Amino acid sequence: MAEKHKPAPMVDEVSEFEILELAVRELAIEKGLFSADDHRRWSEYMETVGPLPAARLVAKAWLDPEFKKLAVSDGVKASLEVGIDWINDMPSNFGTPSDYCNLRVLEDTPKLKHVVVCTLCSCYPRPILGQSPEWYRTPNYRRRIVRWPRQVLAEFGLQLPEDVEVRVEDSNQKSRFIVLPMRPEGTDGWTEEQLTEIVTRDCLIGVAMPHPDRKADDMRPVHPAVNPVKHP
Amino acid sequence: MAKLSPTRQKVMQHLNIVGQLQPALHVETHAPYPDEVNNAYYKAYTRSPHDVGGEPDISIRWEEKEEEEWEHNTFITCECLAWRGVWNAEERRRRQNVDLGQTIYLGMPYYGRWLLSAARILVDKQEITLTELVNKIAEVKKRYE
Amino acid sequence: MSKSHHAEKATGIGDPQCFKGEAGPPKFKVGDKVRIKDLPDIFYTRCQMYTRGTPATVAEIVYESPAAEDEAWDNTEQVEWFYSLVFKQRDLWPEYPDAYTNDTVETELSERWLEPA
Repeated sequence: MAEKHKPAPMVDEVSEFEILELAVRELAIEKGLFSADDHRRWSEYMETVGPLPAARLVAKAWLDPEFKKLAVSDGVKASLEVGIDWINDMPSNFGTPSDYCNLRVLEDTPKLKHVVVCTLCSCYPRPILGQSPEWYRTPNYRRRIVRWPRQVLAEFGLQLPEDVEVRVEDSNQKSRFIVLPMRPEGTDGWTEEQLTEIVTRDCLIGVAMPHPDRKADDMRPVHPAVNPVKHP
Repeated sequence: MAKLSPTRQKVMQHLNIVGQLQPALHVETHAPYPDEVNNAYYKAYTRSPHDVGGEPDISIRWEEKEEEEWEHNTFITCECLAWRGVWNAEERRRRQNVDLGQTIYLGMPYYGRWLLSAARILVDKQEITLTELVNKIAEVKKRYE
Repeated sequence: MSKSHHAEKATGIGDPQCFKGEAGPPKFKVGDKVRIKDLPDIFYTRCQMYTRGTPATVAEIVYESPAAEDEAWDNTEQVEWFYSLVFKQRDLWPEYPDAYTNDTVETELSERWLEPA
């Protein structure tokens, strides 16, 4: 081909997505719809969210039956005790537009196992759990978990006895959910910190169960980004 | 035959691709007669594309994904637009997960739909004109030439 | 074009908290047996097709809010009660294995979608 000695590009090839993203953001700022400062502030808020507060909420509930009762009856109030204010943590002071302010904590029992999905989109309790994983957003997970939950859970490595009620929580409106899993055997005398460490994100979604030897979710393939987010 | 310019090559490629981009019931359709669309097909075509719960699907490998910078920025832009009252999250979901249509729903990436919807709300609510959007996109593109 | 007034209503209060008291008395109570109505789903719905026509039990009365079908066009004058409903998997799916007879799905729907079973 005639292009054998094509010179190396001066810049990386830019995608239509990147171009449109810039165009939309610049126009929105030019027109005063939001400011560059707004964008930066919301981005900074999003950098603060992750799964640790939810893990701590579970650990606290395991250690304190009164707190567990609060967590199950009023998730927003219980969140305050792990440092999460669903209404005021974020610049809007009315919650995040997409996640609202109605956390519901789903208590697993020996006879009841919860798993969360949003079949309609990918609603997720970001203020207390961080951003949703890619697999949670896929049409595949959303199609199958609500109808074949045990098959999908088995793919995540979770198999439950026949007499346990597997309850799929389809998060389709304004509530957001975390699972309060059963406290595992082999954790007697553990501190809140120790217990927090074994409540991973997957346990809080409901596709995994906490285990004394498990401090991280299963390794899965990670689809790399072309131009990943640059973290400060 | 004269060699096609890069622009004309892209145009011809585009026409070939969109010619194959058709609603798929494994039957080609080119705007059928009304009596060729029974009530079951009417329901299928007018469905909300986001309502996928219970549809059969195969077993896949569950993966995580590294976030693109543009995806992160898109998410923040969408939240800022709602924070500052241009839309609310439910309007966004309606536009992003239903109005875009079945083909875009399954054909484009997740955050691609967020981004298209953010662009669209600006035009629909007359915050910008389409002309302004077109010119801005062209201007941004030029920076990368 | 004019902006949404949501910030005025919800700042310091939260959403759905900002709609508290606007729906009037709830039509259903915890424990009620209901059936999901198959209202027309033209243009937009957040009542999943898989629930239509299925019996369910009211597990919780959760909050007041405009229905998603209205909020999606920023029509927020009419506010409804939202309920958390539990469905038996065997009522939803004909092929659901008998072995897992206790399995359920729980989801939230606004009052317009419910009728007494």
